[in-house]
Amino acid sequence: MASSAPADETHFIAHKGHFRLFGLTLDDCIKVFFGGNAVISIIVLALITYFLFREGAGFFGDNRRNLEVYRQAGLEYVDFIRAQQDDHAALTRYLSDLRVRQVKFYTQEKKLSLAEANAAVAGFDEFAGQYGDAVDPIRSLVSDLTEQATAIKEKFNVMEDKKTERDQLVAAGQPAAAAKVVVVPVDFVAELKPILGTLPAYRDASADFAKRLAEVVSAAPAMPSLALQDRLERFRQLNAEYLAGFPAVLRNLETWDFRKPVPAAQAFMSFLFGREWLTASFWQDWYGVVPLLVGSIMVSLVALVLAVPLGVGAAIYVNQIASPIEQKFIKPCIEFISAIPSVVLGFFGIAVLGQALRALSQVKALSWVPGFPYSERLNILTAGCLLALIAVPTIFTLAEDALNNVPRSFKEASFALGATRLQTVIRIIVPASLSGIISAVLLGLGRVIGETMVVLLCAGNRIAIPDFTAGLAVITQPVHTMTGIIAQEMGEVVHGSIHYRALFVVGMLLFFLSLAINYAAQRIVRRYRIAIG
Amino acid sequence: MDTLAPAPTPQPPAASVPAVSAPAILPAPAGEILIDIDQVDFFYGASQALHNISLQIQEKKVTAFIGPSGCGKSTLLRCLNRMNDLIDGTRVAKGSIKIRGIDIHRPDVDVIELRKRVGMVFQKSNPFPKSIYENITYGLKLQGVRNQARLDEVVESSLRGAALWDEVKDRLHTSGLGLSGGQQQRLCIARAIAVEPEVILMDEPCSALDPVATAKVEELIQTLRARYTIVIVTHNMQQAARCSDKTAFFYMGKLIEYADTRNIFMNPANPQTEAYVSGRFG
Ligand SMILES: Nc1ncnc2c1ncn2[C@@H]1O[C@H](COP(=O)(O)OP(=O)(O)OP(=O)(O)O)[C@@H](O)[C@H]1O
Ligand SMILES: [Mg+2]
Repeated sequence: MASSAPADETHFIAHKGHFRLFGLTLDDCIKVFFGGNAVISIIVLALITYFLFREGAGFFGDNRRNLEVYRQAGLEYVDFIRAQQDDHAALTRYLSDLRVRQVKFYTQEKKLSLAEANAAVAGFDEFAGQYGDAVDPIRSLVSDLTEQATAIKEKFNVMEDKKTERDQLVAAGQPAAAAKVVVVPVDFVAELKPILGTLPAYRDASADFAKRLAEVVSAAPAMPSLALQDRLERFRQLNAEYLAGFPAVLRNLETWDFRKPVPAAQAFMSFLFGREWLTASFWQDWYGVVPLLVGSIMVSLVALVLAVPLGVGAAIYVNQIASPIEQKFIKPCIEFISAIPSVVLGFFGIAVLGQALRALSQVKALSWVPGFPYSERLNILTAGCLLALIAVPTIFTLAEDALNNVPRSFKEASFALGATRLQTVIRIIVPASLSGIISAVLLGLGRVIGETMVVLLCAGNRIAIPDFTAGLAVITQPVHTMTGIIAQEMGEVVHGSIHYRALFVVGMLLFFLSLAINYAAQRIVRRYRIAIG
Repeated sequence: MDTLAPAPTPQPPAASVPAVSAPAILPAPAGEILIDIDQVDFFYGASQALHNISLQIQEKKVTAFIGPSGCGKSTLLRCLNRMNDLIDGTRVAKGSIKIRGIDIHRPDVDVIELRKRVGMVFQKSNPFPKSIYENITYGLKLQGVRNQARLDEVVESSLRGAALWDEVKDRLHTSGLGLSGGQQQRLCIARAIAVEPEVILMDEPCSALDPVATAKVEELIQTLRARYTIVIVTHNMQQAARCSDKTAFFYMGKLIEYADTRNIFMNPANPQTEAYVSGRFG
């Protein structure tokens, strides 16, 4: 070892650093080891962030191109007319709903048999049929145009593929082979001509269509009851509004220009505010995050509504009321929930909870509950209940900590003034730990929003914005979530494709959400520390 | 003054306190026995903290508990308003504590009512993390007082009673935690007297205060004794000598000597007391 120095010369305090490794003392080694760990975790975090951003950032450029092609190939043009057709379809559905109501009226109020009821609505059926068939000329026009536009898009895609192939060959140092690749440029002006040429035909068809609808509706049969008549009037009104929109459609078509550039902001907006997430479609892909975001938020909200009272209530009980024996039993039990793998919870959700809740919803006595009875076993409610189970341990543990931090002396002072236990909890303990409890709830929310397996298995995975007009019953509808979509689609997408990048952007959004939630929680806790002193 | 009326006041809330002391000793003169501690043994779980304590505390007097650390002063004090009930496994194994003749451990005694009558000030000042105003009105609001004028009045009178009014009257709605240590302690005293107790228990109320703040609290005790019965635990011999009328000396959970303060300090009957008050042990 190093200390071979003359012992008589050096004072014992000067004896230091017997052990050295690469010139480092033991102390230094320990420092390097732990410091190194800290540095590595920070580097890993930075790498993850960087990677997420690098993969995601390309999305917006891709999406802009995607929207450009949508315009240039004429898909946008066709969709104007298609929207008109779809709106008509919605009105037709309104009529079939009205038919169902009439039959119900005849069978239940008038006590007619089903056959008699059907006979009674025969006139209405004829009317509805005429209304529905009126769209036929428009429909055939749309389907022709669809084919043409798809063909243009296909040509464009082929060109893009060839370009990529050529670029790859060039990059691989094979210019000869690259020169052989034929890239046929798409002449959009020429290609779009036949599509744009249908405008006069559309103008006529549309005018006829409007006339026909007005005719049919004016001859609508009378309804058997006042309430139903009201509905028919409402239909008339809707139809009038629909017809009033025709000139706007025509104007859109007339002024449409495929050369009009797509603003960069639109690539961003169509993601953040897009109401459709549609991938691998034969027509046009949309990457709108709204349905997923709404799904995530709805599921988390339901989870919080259930988990907050449970978690905070349990924390108050354990911290303030329970006997030591109860504490010893309850705390580990609740904390154990967080040890259950979420895939197992998801299993439980599908096999037990989903079934049980649906069975419960079909109990006659509970039909007053909004949304009951329902038939979709996997929906917001099922996923929310399970997520609540996941959030409870987090909320419980952190809220319990917050309650624990309330000085015992507050409690004693309150009791000494003649407060009951309940009064002390409500007026002193909870207010004193409120910010701690709020941050517990926020962290619970963060936990829930990031949870994947349970929502993937139990939320029903229907990519659509739930129908909020249903009121509270909205929670019995299936949704898809941001985490769920990433888990589900990431494995199948082509690496580097726009879809792949879109998923990364969803991941980024999640990342920001969690960051914001955590930041808020920390801010609140800090304020609370200062307040308590 | 209604605070000094005997335990079962005629109002309905007092129904929880049994109407035993029917021989109502209206405006009791100073010196009547208010609290009668009779042969009390007290246990924390299996360990005995008080041994056969018998002690009578007189109305509107200041009684000081002195003794070396761990001798059971706080324990006995906390028995008087049953604060020890909050600690698991404690029990009064033998004997009784009577306030105006009513055994406070009788099953029909409402401990909430008891604590309203026997207020407490703690060693470490502990205002709630609320405004000064809310700190004082807390006890009244618990009793359901909602009348704003009455609350304002009580806030002023309690703060005046605790000699704090002039210092805080302009900041009643700021946090009680923003006061200095001495002010906080007086705020706690004000909070205790706001519910108009009969007895105020003080457990080393000045141990965390500087001499000036201590002097203020002592002065306050002198004025409070006209209206309240005060029991004070202290480690400060001068303080006990200055402010108290009667002094009890405890040692190892036993009451060694209880007499007029002057006697305890000038002329102690027990050699242990003498050794302690003269600073030779403890
Ligand atoms: N919560 C408790 N659990 C168990 N034993 C306790 C508890 N509180 C006090 N004791 C014990 O009871 C005895 C008396 O304690 P107490 O607090 O009454 O002493 P004290 O006279 O107030 O002392 P000090 O002057 O230091 O405040 C001590 O031996 C103490 O260890
Ligand atoms: Mg003590």
